Amino acid sequence: MSYTGKLLRVNLTTGHSQVEELNKQWAVDYIGGKGLGLKYLYEELAPGVAPLSPDNKLILMTGLFTGTIIPLSGKLAIITKSPATGTILDCSIGGHFAAELKYAGYDAVILEGKASKPSYLYIEDKIVEIRDASELWGQGAQETELILREKINQEVKALAIGPAGENLVTMSCITSEFYRQAGRGGVGAVMGSKNLKAIAVRGSGSISVPNIKQFASSMKEFMQTDILTDTNLWANTDGTALLVDFNQDTGILPTKNFQQGTFDDYQAINSDALKAVRSGKKGCFSCALGCGNYSRTGRSTVEGPEYETLALGGSNCGISDLEAIIEFNDLCDNLGMDTISVGNVIAFAMELTEKGIKDFGLRFGDVEAYLKIPGLIAAQVGIGVDLGLGVKKLSEKYGGSDFAMHVKGLEFPGYEPRGSWGMGLAYATSDRGACHMRAWPVAQEAYGDLDAFTVEGKAQLVIELQHYNAVKFSLILCDFWALSLETMGTIVSNLLERTVTEQELSQVGERVVNLARQFNVREGFTKDNDTLPGRIFKETLKTGATKGQLLPLEEYEKMLAEYYSLRGWDRDGRPTDAKLQELGVN
Amino acid sequence: MVLKLIEELCIGCRLCQLACSVAKEEVFNPELARLKIISLYSKSGLNYKTSLCNMCLTCVNICPTEAISHQAGHLIYDQDKCTNCGICITACPESVIASRAEGIALCDLCGGSPACVEWCPHQALMNQEGN
Repeated sequence: MSYTGKLLRVNLTTGHSQVEELNKQWAVDYIGGKGLGLKYLYEELAPGVAPLSPDNKLILMTGLFTGTIIPLSGKLAIITKSPATGTILDCSIGGHFAAELKYAGYDAVILEGKASKPSYLYIEDKIVEIRDASELWGQGAQETELILREKINQEVKALAIGPAGENLVTMSCITSEFYRQAGRGGVGAVMGSKNLKAIAVRGSGSISVPNIKQFASSMKEFMQTDILTDTNLWANTDGTALLVDFNQDTGILPTKNFQQGTFDDYQAINSDALKAVRSGKKGCFSCALGCGNYSRTGRSTVEGPEYETLALGGSNCGISDLEAIIEFNDLCDNLGMDTISVGNVIAFAMELTEKGIKDFGLRFGDVEAYLKIPGLIAAQVGIGVDLGLGVKKLSEKYGGSDFAMHVKGLEFPGYEPRGSWGMGLAYATSDRGACHMRAWPVAQEAYGDLDAFTVEGKAQLVIELQHYNAVKFSLILCDFWALSLETMGTIVSNLLERTVTEQELSQVGERVVNLARQFNVREGFTKDNDTLPGRIFKETLKTGATKGQLLPLEEYEKMLAEYYSLRGWDRDGRPTDAKLQELGVN
Repeated sequence: MVLKLIEELCIGCRLCQLACSVAKEEVFNPELARLKIISLYSKSGLNYKTSLCNMCLTCVNICPTEAISHQAGHLIYDQDKCTNCGICITACPESVIASRAEGIALCDLCGGSPACVEWCPHQALMNQEGN
């Protein structure tokens, strides 16, 4: 069995840690990763807990696949209640930490309470120590990792926060291996609120699975025939930067705070431009693709920038200077902040300034001013105090709610929903606010054969994609292996030595989505929160392939009602008892 | 035959080490692999840390009981002849040889077609003719 069957619970208030048996039934119902982490949080967290209080918990969850030779299985799920949205929050982070944790003997770690002083957690097999982090506090996320490597061992694997997390900025992330992030929703601030600067792990144990040689041989076959193929290899040759051209062509490249869907200078920030400064490649543990483009310019070096950073920190701020975007990326990474949310809040402040609503001294395309913002937000000084609020709270303070591009307090990723109407529904119904990782109908609508400008069939599409992704992030696998549910079923069946069908897996996905929804319902979220900013419903786009398009409100509401109905939820978006019973969610 | 790594092609995925631990130990554990390739970021860039058998044959020459030999292009370890003295482990300049409960673990290129090379997704690791 590739679970270790052990869960490490650490109470940072008391300093006590204990090893528990992993709940076997929950592991069957929710597999691992996202799903199992949500289940633990749902069961253990009382409703209404303040996300930055000691009562919130931070859960690190590996999965059935973690630590094995299954390619692209290196990710870790981090689950908590989000300080940015108040919803449930799960992030997945790449690198090598997850496998190392499993080799140390744990499927999961649950962190509770709050340390009395800056601390870091060290795990080495059975050794679990809460150690003093006074020399790490104030350091960048990257410096923190370097110091830990020097102090402990060059091969220690770490999760760390930067100053933004220490200062409880709700767009702060958790970093691993310099450039990998659990990016969204403020997981870094939750760590900061617990006085926890880092978690370092070394593991020496082994993982066994039945018929291991045969299993490995079948995985090698999958690698050759289903991974190292044109469907997936773009991740290696180009990385996500490829999407700049795709989205420019289809008119969904967010530009100047989503005022436009095309960017005149897109060629300055696309994959070809990035290839000119690429200086290496790096993949996560067990990854056969390797999407990490290491880029170097005169001013900075960074792994990336990923598409989301190029879009939200580039075109959406009117910035076409690739060196500046790389510097922005580098600043955010070391300060420990999500480039999507930081890019969005800068763009929103630029529009507030240009419209004369509130003068932040920021204008679209002003590189110098733009590069000062990450430091101000992370340190919580000057206008960084306001901008650190995020787009939603900033709009509540100064106005501009129609063009405050967020859902439930989480800022938009880089796909314009007026050019991909299903994406609008996906943002609105995602468990953690505007997110492209819960369902990404852009592939079918903007790049594929489906009509992007209709709501017909989109509710069903989004539901299927949400189930698919919920399973994938529970196994855990990386998003970039476009494998079928059938293939997932084959691998799971081999590991568990019983037949697991694609229908069963899809039902796990549905269970996870419904449990997440129940968590949010319990926190007071209703249909009113499943909506999009006014701009999407009221303003037509004016350029490119989406010229003349908006998403009509009545069409959106029709799509949302159909979505609730197909899900077996009531008109206010609450899962019905019958649906919960069918799925075994209680 | 000898293992060669082309760093520019390596993405640091450690599939080679997993493949080795499956082939030789029948578990997943990169620490038990008979090679090590990791890439780590530092402020100066991406650095590689490697331990690969480079067929220097130090172990063959130093083994007092001829438990390690070099035949058909790869090493052969004869556990019956091994006295667990550990000299080869200390002498190996690449730190590839490890001790086991009984005897040692060394890289024998899987008898000629190494699992690590077969698994490398980007042909960064090669089994070159020579030596």
